[in-house]
Amino acid sequence: MSRPLPLPRFDRRLLRAVARLVPAQEREDWSRTWQAELWHLHHRSRTRPTHFRRLHALSVMTDLSIGLTLDALWLRTDLWRRTYSGSAGLCLASLSGLCLLSVLIALLFTDGGHALSPHLRGQIARSLVAAALVVFVSFATASRLPVDRNAATQGLYWIRRQAFFAAKMAQVLLLAFFLSLLVFLFSIDACATIHVPARNVADVFQLFSFVFFALVGLRWVFRDQEQRCKQCLHLLNTPARVGRPSHNLLEWNGTELNCKQGHGLLSVPEIETSWCQSSQWINLDANWDKAAPI
Amino acid sequence: MNPPRLSHSAALILKALSLGYCFGLDVMEITGLPSGTVYPALRRLERDRLVESRWEPEAEAALKQRPARRYYEVTRAGKAAALAATQRYPLLARLVSEKRS
Repeated sequence: MSRPLPLPRFDRRLLRAVARLVPAQEREDWSRTWQAELWHLHHRSRTRPTHFRRLHALSVMTDLSIGLTLDALWLRTDLWRRTYSGSAGLCLASLSGLCLLSVLIALLFTDGGHALSPHLRGQIARSLVAAALVVFVSFATASRLPVDRNAATQGLYWIRRQAFFAAKMAQVLLLAFFLSLLVFLFSIDACATIHVPARNVADVFQLFSFVFFALVGLRWVFRDQEQRCKQCLHLLNTPARVGRPSHNLLEWNGTELNCKQGHGLLSVPEIETSWCQSSQWINLDANWDKAAPI
Repeated sequence: MNPPRLSHSAALILKALSLGYCFGLDVMEITGLPSGTVYPALRRLERDRLVESRWEPEAEAALKQRPARRYYEVTRAGKAAALAATQRYPLLARLVSEKRS
């Protein structure tokens, strides 16, 4: 039994070069798929008339080169999507990106920030005072945090969780401040057109908008923190309703959220009862790791 | 569960697969779509469990002196999605003809 003809040298080099883009665990399968596709392409062009063969093979080869590169890129981005989607790192990076974007917009509107700098010190002082009040109110009115009595999620995991919570909170407050600066700039322009003393009105708008954005943002911070895995800090998913709402006084009912890595699940009661006042985090056995992706 | 809403290209590829074109190169040729669209779309359809891929038996390929190819089959969910896509894009059936065996 004879072996199939090998691929031309260019194809083999191209495959080797692009294969580096493909995640290691899928590289062999990807190479095998494309070796077969390219072989069949060359085989098909051999069966066509000579004058047509070269032109056709060249155009399809170019197209397939783009295709195999895009296929490799898709596998790479899909791996990133699966790894970083819902992760703590992506959350902090997104918040940083939003902060940067709002600063860039503010700089764009003020010709490099010259119009803004005389007012900045007063705004920072006012916002710091308001931030302390907003944080106090947010903590006082936040729903009870999940009960977690597992030793496995204490210690280092607890420190990581609190560090992430603090970083997220700081970034949200920073973002609220930058957004309120944009409101300040827009209100100065608006006041100038209707002949109102611009400075005072804009200052009030800036303060109110900061309080508003900070309150909404911190509310989200608490909610987001509650819905994350206590070990890996990934967002919990696949919410499932448990129990019947009509049996509120007879049995537990609520929602269960799972960690996609299989670390545990969060039981969120529908209503607070004397026997279940807040959501509960339940650690799963390590054997669940294998069942989690199913 | 409602079948997922597919883009026109994805619907076209799914239609081609359901009509018996089971290799990437065949799908490319019959739909006229570039490979940069076809192969990533096949991956997405496989991820969404609308199609599944298998390797043809090595012995069968070796007998014909060619490398084994990966072929795609439409799943039950994929058939429902293809049907829904045909209703959504009525001209789809005219764009791809059934494969002559």
